[in-house]
Amino acid sequence: MAKIGLIFNGVWSHYALATAPKYRDLYRLLYVHDLDADAVRDLDALAIPFQSNQRVLTEKKAVIYDFLAAGKKVFLEGDSSTSWLDAQWEDRPVNNYWWVDNPTKPPVSATDYGHPVYQGLSPRQACWHTHGVYTRVPAAAEIIQTNSDGEVITWQTHAYGGTLLVTTLDPLVEHGVQQITHLDNYVDRLTEWLSGERPAAGRLTIDGAAYGVGARV
Amino acid sequence: MLQALLISNGLVGLEKYYISNELVQYTTCLITKDFAPDLTPYDLLVVPNGSDHVAMLKIKNQVRDFLNKGKALMCCDGFFTAWVPGNQWVMDNSHRTLDVRYLPGPDPHGLLRGLDLDELNFSHGMSGWWSCGYIQAAPGAEVLLVDTWQRPIVVLDEVSTAGRLLLTASGPLADVTYAGQPDRALVLLYRNFLHLLSTSPAPAHG
Repeated sequence: MAKIGLIFNGVWSHYALATAPKYRDLYRLLYVHDLDADAVRDLDALAIPFQSNQRVLTEKKAVIYDFLAAGKKVFLEGDSSTSWLDAQWEDRPVNNYWWVDNPTKPPVSATDYGHPVYQGLSPRQACWHTHGVYTRVPAAAEIIQTNSDGEVITWQTHAYGGTLLVTTLDPLVEHGVQQITHLDNYVDRLTEWLSGERPAAGRLTIDGAAYGVGARV
Repeated sequence: MLQALLISNGLVGLEKYYISNELVQYTTCLITKDFAPDLTPYDLLVVPNGSDHVAMLKIKNQVRDFLNKGKALMCCDGFFTAWVPGNQWVMDNSHRTLDVRYLPGPDPHGLLRGLDLDELNFSHGMSGWWSCGYIQAAPGAEVLLVDTWQRPIVVLDEVSTAGRLLLTASGPLADVTYAGQPDRALVLLYRNFLHLLSTSPAPAHG
């Protein structure tokens, strides 16, 4: 039974990840407009991907904070220009091409590889591109990743009861898009950290039957 | 001037890519739980990259009715639910993005006019950045671009309904003339479609 609720804005990359054979038993799509306490009650973790509907999430932020208060995990990725988060996100140009144009200066310069999601990852597997930075994070938050200017890319806090892990990386969306081929490494570790279960080894595959009239929505 | 309804699921920054100009007036429709937009006042429905295809499935009948009045749809996204008449997008990762190239097909309306396909083939020297998956195109629809494996990537469909559909396999298109990048391929293709809608009524079949 799925243990991770993937907040779903109807976006195809969210869908591609959650319906992929290696992840579909671990993630449950939670359509954002149907999100309520009952929808998350039996889950261990929530994952909020890039390209989420932040306006609706703001309206429903109590669901997220109540979930954290129950001691559970929440993962938030991407351009979190949120008014529901006690942090300041700022936009920055997205650099998809650093590894071609300037491979000695990746968008992340420091990573705490002691964090369970990052253990065993190579620097390249731990950063592909970022969507902005955090210029303020909650007091006592643990800083997991920063860029060369010292701006925060990934942070974590236990201030709300459970664990809130926040990053401007976008592993869930990019893994669904499948234009970056090494993301099984990051997402498999993230999935195991969120659910306690390691996905099956191997590359993400697509189930074509889940598209069109067979779509699982 | 065309009246276009831009469907938004709240993505940050979406509206800056669709700015009203001499060809088109955009109205943004935010998706809500009870999504049921009135399409009547509009000539064109714009479903941009990163859209909500659960919401679009809810209004599939309204979309078909809209198109059967001779109106138009532009969807440049992965339409994984079955709401687009006659056509279906499918995700696929069985080929390397390194090998993706786009090849033109017959283009009687000139929608590829002025496009440098290498802008879609390469970005900073990397290929496979623009589209994802492919379209199962309606029989008789015009396939404007195929990929290396001859799979439809850009489709103009004037046969499934009485209207026109311009579809991409999640390759983003935008109308960013007033926000920079006026001459990029992904802008020119979209604006060529707007010119077609402005100057030539849809054929009376479907």
